[in-house]
Amino acid sequence: MYTRKKNIFVRMSENVNVQKALGVILPVLLGIVIFVLWQTQVIHKIFHVDVFTLPLPTRIVSIMIDNISDILINTKATVFAAAIGLLIGSVIGYVIAWVADRWKGFGSGGLIIVTAFNAIPIVALAPVMTNWTRDVSPDASVRSMVSKILVVMIVSIASMSINAYRGLTELKPYAMDMMTSYAAKRREVFWKLQFPNSVPYIFTALRVSAPNSVISAIVAEYFAEYIIGVGRQIRENIVLAQYSTAWAYILTACIIGIVFYVVLMIVEAIILKHRK
Amino acid sequence: MKKIRKLGQKKWLVTLVWVIGIVIVWEIMAFRVAAVKRTPENILPHIYQILYSFIDSSPVAGGQTALMVVASNAVATLLRAAVGFLLGMGLGFVLALLMKLSGIIEKLAFPYLMLIQMIPILGMAPIILSLTGDIGTSRIIIAAILTFYPVAANTLAGLKSVETEKYELMYSYAAPKRMIYTKVLIPACLPYFFTGLKIAAPMAITASILVDTLQGDGGLGCMLSQSLRHAMSIYVFWDIVLVSAVIGILSTKLMGWIEDLVSPLKRIDRQIGRRGGK
Repeated sequence: MYTRKKNIFVRMSENVNVQKALGVILPVLLGIVIFVLWQTQVIHKIFHVDVFTLPLPTRIVSIMIDNISDILINTKATVFAAAIGLLIGSVIGYVIAWVADRWKGFGSGGLIIVTAFNAIPIVALAPVMTNWTRDVSPDASVRSMVSKILVVMIVSIASMSINAYRGLTELKPYAMDMMTSYAAKRREVFWKLQFPNSVPYIFTALRVSAPNSVISAIVAEYFAEYIIGVGRQIRENIVLAQYSTAWAYILTACIIGIVFYVVLMIVEAIILKHRK
Repeated sequence: MKKIRKLGQKKWLVTLVWVIGIVIVWEIMAFRVAAVKRTPENILPHIYQILYSFIDSSPVAGGQTALMVVASNAVATLLRAAVGFLLGMGLGFVLALLMKLSGIIEKLAFPYLMLIQMIPILGMAPIILSLTGDIGTSRIIIAAILTFYPVAANTLAGLKSVETEKYELMYSYAAPKRMIYTKVLIPACLPYFFTGLKIAAPMAITASILVDTLQGDGGLGCMLSQSLRHAMSIYVFWDIVLVSAVIGILSTKLMGWIEDLVSPLKRIDRQIGRRGGK
């Protein structure tokens, strides 16, 4: 039978390798185009901004290299608040989910309250936490850190408790019946069935709350007493009209966000490797 | 015991018990704070004090009562958030459609869509303000960016969730591409689209309040920072915390209600429910 020879576009669109390569090449090309437009000040002309408020990428990077020691100190403060808050909040969130599953009726009411707390804007939460932690320590840097951690913690609780609850309850059909027929104890049911089942859900929650924890830490820094952290530096430098330095800190904030996400992805890939 | 368990199945009652529990804990703490602190209202006022400040008729700023200040500024903040929200919603939906229509656009845009999720946009609020020079514009931009990602990502997931059988059915009807979109794809992605909106709505409001704090131009955030600096009664601060929490919760609920009205799936659910009830 005679089949018409396919033209090159059709053949390319059917080739898996070509498609995979395009998935990398196209975004990189777009990135290069944006970089070139920025560096050659075309973006400045389109949006009517000057080089002073939107510095060239090369200048931002050179400022970053010049101030690397300051940037590292502030990065450490932000990362510490975000990571510790995320960790504590996720553990509390998981415990809430467990309680909600263990005592179904009144426990699940806690979930509703947690989601309600989640809707409180961070902007309102951060000053409250600053007020509440005034007596924690005579040292301003310590109590600011505690209040930042508390803000991040509250933000992280909700997504973990909701997802973990689904992980504990959405089991494979009849799995629970089998456990009952084995006369398994509650503890065994949890460790052998519910906990393993909830692990992918934990990562779903973390994917939401990891970037959120960085954002919350940065916003909490705006309201904190002690002037430290990437977010605070962005604001302080803009007030001082040092836009290049502010941009260097924005770039740092973006890098922190991306690193958090990438680390999470790697951990997820390692832990979930043996599933499917 | 059995009775208690039965009561536990009533959702509103469970929520009520929790709310009462929180109020009790709050009040115990408030009494403790009141006993040891000179200015307890800065740290933890009694709930009745906060509620009373809403109806208190003594002026707090410029001859306005606390309720008038909070209400007028809440409206300003909400309107600004809504503009950004609608813009981000429209752009997010269109981008998701374009990504579904063209593989090249999807490959171009998807990594950047992921990137938006990873970078702290709210932290960029001050620089966007100094870039645009106008607080209203920057508020809309930030609210739009924050809305954009969850809407685009969820809608795209919805568009991709359509089973091949449905395409095959449409193909057997010889349906044109436009019809596949209007009859199959868009209805199928609606629940996902609304999930995106439910996530985005409180975020848009948070963004709007945060941008308020950057410059004195009215809005909840502006009053919040003024009240924190004791430019007016500290109760205005607590009122705003309470109001913004309620607005945040209501915005998610509102999206749910709109979904119930608009979505064809929910409409069918309702009709079945009604028929079943007879």
